[in-house]
Amino acid sequence: MNGRIIWEFLAAFAGTAAFALLFQVPKRYYKYCGLIGGCGWICYQFLLTGCSEPLAAFFANVVVVFLSRFLAVREKCPVTVFLISGIFPLVPGAGIYWTAYYIVVNELGLAGQRGFQTLKIAVAIVLSILLVFELPQGIFRIGIRKEKEII
Amino acid sequence: MEKEDKSEALNVAFLAGDILLASGAEIFRVEDTIFRIAQAYGVESSDAFVLSSGIFLTAGNEREADFARVLHIPLSAARLDKVTEVNQLSREIVQGKHTPAQARERLLEIQKMPAKPKIHQVLASGVGSACFCFLFGGDWLDSLAAFMSGLLLYLYLLYWVRGRLSKIASNISGGALVTFCCILLYRCGIGHQLGQMVIGSIIPLVPGVAFTTAIRDIADEDYIAGSVRMLDALLVTFCIAMGVGLVMTLYHYLTGGTML
Repeated sequence: MNGRIIWEFLAAFAGTAAFALLFQVPKRYYKYCGLIGGCGWICYQFLLTGCSEPLAAFFANVVVVFLSRFLAVREKCPVTVFLISGIFPLVPGAGIYWTAYYIVVNELGLAGQRGFQTLKIAVAIVLSILLVFELPQGIFRIGIRKEKEII
Repeated sequence: MEKEDKSEALNVAFLAGDILLASGAEIFRVEDTIFRIAQAYGVESSDAFVLSSGIFLTAGNEREADFARVLHIPLSAARLDKVTEVNQLSREIVQGKHTPAQARERLLEIQKMPAKPKIHQVLASGVGSACFCFLFGGDWLDSLAAFMSGLLLYLYLLYWVRGRLSKIASNISGGALVTFCCILLYRCGIGHQLGQMVIGSIIPLVPGVAFTTAIRDIADEDYIAGSVRMLDALLVTFCIAMGVGLVMTLYHYLTGGTML
């Protein structure tokens, strides 16, 4: 189990960095994008042991958005650079697939269940982004030289 | 008294906004950047109205000459490198490091910045697909299959489609292609779990940028832009699901559902 966690962190790191490339993030930020993606995924897996998928996605994404904002202030660059690739491991791609799959095999009950679950995860991600962006900018500037910022 | 002509400065601000919006920045950032640049060059009367597909910028009062420009900007692919560069430049302009002419030149350079080499993008799509396949519970062989179909997906998108198909058509066909490729590999014995393979390889199509930007726009109360982008994200998601579903249905029909 412990070995698997390390591999998963590496996979989330590499996967997130790969998507950072697809969105044309400057090269020097790949490592941060990967780090955020990896941390988000590990948090998600850890939380899944104790709570439901949408709840785990919510808290894991709070971590992702928090780290993104922190790094954006530190590196003086737009927060979207980190946020977009960072949330990728948590985006319910699997949900989309299973919903389509159950519709195809005519298991409409399961399809509805899956579809609704996917929607719940998406809403959880939305809420966590909204929540963390309500925090004042000052929190993220701890230990950083004061300057006017555009996040 | 002669009205001061600040059109050079306003053109710089407008160009900065244009690049930002076309690269997928949030509405708030576009408006803020235009306003900051205009202010830095001493324009007091500027007023920008930004939608997800266009910028309206006007200026003019008793001391400053009239200025008005409208530009239509179609939705396009994310270019976060351009967003970062313009953001950096606007900081420097606010600090007074550039004259309008210099800033304009720099902005034109940014606008022409080349995208990452296509081959890197194709590889990244493959690696991303493989990694996500593994994360969603695939084993090594499944990841290998996802890697191959991820490669194929971006080869298809970058070399074959090249923006010639509409967004809807390219996403449906992309989803279908990936599913077809996974089924083929699955039947050849490469990969054990068809579901995980397909999930990994459709991830490069998932509209992460549109979704995230939409949420941020809605949070900033830019509801029009936010809902347009959210619609974009939802539409793309449905198209992917449709592409996957289409091929699955065919496969199901041909094999009688036993192999699914």
